[in-house]
Amino acid sequence: MNPDDLIGKLSGPLSLRSRIGNVVALLGGLGGALFIGLLWATEPALPGRTHLAFGVLVALGLAWAGYGVWALTRRTPLFALDRVIAAWLAVVATGLLTAGTIAVAVARGTWVSTAGVLVAVTLAVLAVVILIRARAARAALLRRKGELGG
Amino acid sequence: MTDELLVVRCQLGEREAFAELVGVWNDPVWAYVRRMIGPSQADDVAQEVWLAVVRGLPRLREPGRFAPWLFTIARRAVANRLREEYGRPEVLVEEERASADPADGLVDRAELLTGLSELPVREREILVLFHLEDLSLEDCAEVCAIPVGTVKSRLSRARRMLRDHLTEKGHPR
Repeated sequence: MNPDDLIGKLSGPLSLRSRIGNVVALLGGLGGALFIGLLWATEPALPGRTHLAFGVLVALGLAWAGYGVWALTRRTPLFALDRVIAAWLAVVATGLLTAGTIAVAVARGTWVSTAGVLVAVTLAVLAVVILIRARAARAALLRRKGELGG
Repeated sequence: MTDELLVVRCQLGEREAFAELVGVWNDPVWAYVRRMIGPSQADDVAQEVWLAVVRGLPRLREPGRFAPWLFTIARRAVANRLREEYGRPEVLVEEERASADPADGLVDRAELLTGLSELPVREREILVLFHLEDLSLEDCAEVCAIPVGTVKSRLSRARRMLRDHLTEKGHPR
């Protein structure tokens, strides 16, 4: 097998689109599940079918998040640039989640919605820390590349 | 371009750097795998090796140590294929002392290629890594996860076995 054939066979894990797609699946699934779960938990009275629909939506979100985790840990690695892009996506996603949970908390004013805000803020802080670390790691690699004449 | 620079560029996410890295190292990996398990499975195992390399590259902390890391992965892939053969107990390897073996000087590349496939896996492996892939004793030790002294003794034993085997086959000593 020559190198070109090999690169062709490895195109999946090497594709930027597939790596970022997995990040989007993880963040979208997790954020969606948390937000819908919060709406579900803070709604005072719902008919049975609506409970079922919320449950299905939360399960779908968690399934996508689980797929994203599995794909990123087992199938497609994140290189330095991918990590920075993924971290920015996480910052945006958790920012939206925080804004959404704050809106729910203001409207409902229950302890569950306050807890939802705390979870969202925690995730947002985590995303910012990940972004800072990813940028630092990429900068270190770029410095090393420069030292090596690249 | 050095391996370290190529690896750093790969870790940054430059796809073309990975193509270059594969261009440089595919033949040595394929040759190692072919000599260890034969040509019929070499393509599959080499592909497994590169897949593991892609997945592991972001976590490689010492880009300058790419070669031993690569052969460690290749060795693991080969070992997975040869698990049954690897299960046999190794006799007296750790106790065997490294010594100046008069047979050492007899081994050259042509003899190696002739008799290699007849040797047991462990002996074949150490000869391939040291003589054909030109890894240092320290790198062989890292790849095989054994002390340098054991590499020396295993090399010595492998050369002796190869010499005996070639002698049996009628090659001049």
